[in-house]
Amino acid sequence: MATMATPAPKSTPGNMANFNILHGFAEALVRGMRSSFLADADYHHLTQCETLDDVRLNLSETDYGDALADMNTLIPTGLQKAAVEKLVTEFQYLRTQAIEPLSTFLDFITYEYMIENVMLLLKGTLSGRDINELIAQCHPLGMFKESTMRSIPTFESSPRGYQDLYQTVLVDTPVGPYFSLFLRETAGRSEVSNVLEEVEIEIIKSSLIKYWIEDFAQFVDSLGGETAIIMGDLLKVRADTNAINITLNSFGTPLNEPAMRASDRKRLYPALGHLYPAGTSMLADVSDEDELGRVLELFPQYSSIWNVHASGGSDGKSIDDAFYERDVQMLELAFEGQMHFGAFYAYVKLKEQEIRNLVWVSECILQQQKEEIHKFVPVFSFNAPWRAGAKKQGR
Amino acid sequence: MASATCQSAYCNQGWSEVLTHMSPYGFANFGIAFGLGLSVVGAAWGIWLTGSSLVGAAVKAPRIRSKNLIRRVWSGVDCWNSTAIYGVIMAIILANKVKKPEEAASSLSEDWDWAGYYYAGYGMFSSGLSVGLTNIASGVSVGIAGSSCAIGDAQDSSLFVKILIVEIFASALGIFGIIVGIIQSNSCTFPITALSG
Repeated sequence: MATMATPAPKSTPGNMANFNILHGFAEALVRGMRSSFLADADYHHLTQCETLDDVRLNLSETDYGDALADMNTLIPTGLQKAAVEKLVTEFQYLRTQAIEPLSTFLDFITYEYMIENVMLLLKGTLSGRDINELIAQCHPLGMFKESTMRSIPTFESSPRGYQDLYQTVLVDTPVGPYFSLFLRETAGRSEVSNVLEEVEIEIIKSSLIKYWIEDFAQFVDSLGGETAIIMGDLLKVRADTNAINITLNSFGTPLNEPAMRASDRKRLYPALGHLYPAGTSMLADVSDEDELGRVLELFPQYSSIWNVHASGGSDGKSIDDAFYERDVQMLELAFEGQMHFGAFYAYVKLKEQEIRNLVWVSECILQQQKEEIHKFVPVFSFNAPWRAGAKKQGR
Repeated sequence: MASATCQSAYCNQGWSEVLTHMSPYGFANFGIAFGLGLSVVGAAWGIWLTGSSLVGAAVKAPRIRSKNLIRRVWSGVDCWNSTAIYGVIMAIILANKVKKPEEAASSLSEDWDWAGYYYAGYGMFSSGLSVGLTNIASGVSVGIAGSSCAIGDAQDSSLFVKILIVEIFASALGIFGIIVGIIQSNSCTFPITALSG
C-alpha cells in the first residue's frame, strides 16, 4: 500500500465507555437524521402518483417538504438538485458539530466528490463544454474555491499539463496528495501510453479513487475499534466493487489489450478488499466477461451479484442494481451498531441511494413508464429481502 | 540498596506498614469518601453518556424533546439518581457508625476493644468500596443503555418502555452493591469505651 497521504489521527474515537465524550452529540444527530429516510408507505404513495405535481404533493409531507417548498413545477433534475442540496446542508451541519478525529473522517467522505469534480472539469473541457455549465454540474460536497474550480480546466490534458495542474492548483487541495501519487507513478514509467485522451481521464479517475480508498482505509484502520471493523468492511466491499467495475468496463477499450492489462489495468485495482490480492491478480488476466465470471465464481459474495449480470438481467436488473442492493444492505448494517463513525458514511451513501430512487420514480412518471417504476432499492425498507418483515409477507 | 532503605525509626518500611498502621478512623472515613465519591462518578458518567446522545437525537426528532423527553430524562435521572443516592445512603449509614471515644485521651487503654476497633475500620472501608465500585459499573452501564435508548426512542417511540426496562436492570446492579455494603457494615461499630473487666 502507498504511504499514507493523510497523517494518522492523533486520537481514537474511543470505546463504548468514552466515545460519547467527544462524538456522542454528532453521532446522535446522524442517527436522528435516519428518521428522515422515506418509508415504505412514502414510496408506495410516490409510485401511485400520476403526475409530477402529485409527487411534489406527496413529498411535501415528508422531510423533503421544506426543500421543495419554493419549487413551482417539479422536474426530475430540479428534484435531484434540491435533494442533493438538502443532503449537503445536513452534511455540513454534521461537519460543523464534529471534532477530531471525526472531522477528518467526514472530510474523507468529501474527497471522493472532489476527485469526481476535478475529473468532471477535465473531461468536460476535453469535449469543449462551457466552464459555467460544468461547475453547475459539480457535486456540491466536493467544491473547491471558485478560483480553483475555474482554473482547473485551463490546463491541457497531457502529462506536462497534469504536472502543471498539480503544481499550481491541486497541491493546495485535500486531493493533491492523491494526484501527486498518480504523477509519481506515471513518471516512473516510460512514455508508452498512447491511449486515447478519454481513456486517460478514466485511468486518472480510477487511480485517484484507488488512492483515496487506500488512504481512507488506512485512516479508518488507525482509528481502531468498532469504526475499523464496520467502516473497514464497507471500504473493502467498495474496493472490490471498483475492481470488478474497472475490469468490466475495460472490455472493448484499449485497457483490455494484453499489454495494458498487466501494466495499466492491474494498477487500478485498490490494494485492499476481499478480492485482494488473490482475486485482483486473477482479474488482471481476464480478457472477456466469461473469464471474469469464472474468477468471480470463486468468491461466493460476488458470484451471486455476477449471476444477475450473467443471466442478462432476468428480472430487468443490471449489475449496478445488484451492487446497489448489496450496498444498501451493508450500509444499513452500519446503523445497527453504535459508537462508531461508519454511520456518517452510511448516511451520506444511503441518502444518495434515496435521491437516485426519487429521480428514478419521477423520471418514470414523467415518461409514463409505470411498469418500470418499482426498479429501485428502497432504504430501510421492511420489505427488503434481508429483513424479517419480508418473510412475513411471504416474499 | 542501603541508601534506598530508610534507616530512621520514624520511617515506614513500605506500603504494607503504612496500611497496617493507618488509624481505623482513617479507614472508615476513606470508606465513606470512596462510597460517595465513586457513586457520584458513576452517576455523572452515565448522565453524560446519555445526555450527549439525547440532545443530539432530539434535534431531528423534536417529539422526544417534549413530553417523551421529560419522561425519559426523569426515568433516566431516576436511574442515575438512584446510583448517586445509594452512595449518599451508604455514606450516611457509615458516617453514623464512626464514633469518637468517650474519653478523649492521647492513647487508648490496654483493655480497648482492638479487634472491634480494626474490624470496624476495615469493614467500613470495604463496604464503601463495594458500593462505590458497583455504582461506577452500574452508572456506566445505565449510561450506555440510556444512550442507545435515546437514539432508539427518537426512531420508534414504542421502544421506550422496553429499553427503559433494560436500563432499570442496569441500575439494579447498584442495588447489589448497596445490599452487600449494608451487610458488610452491619457489625462494624467503633468501640467508644474500654472493654469492662
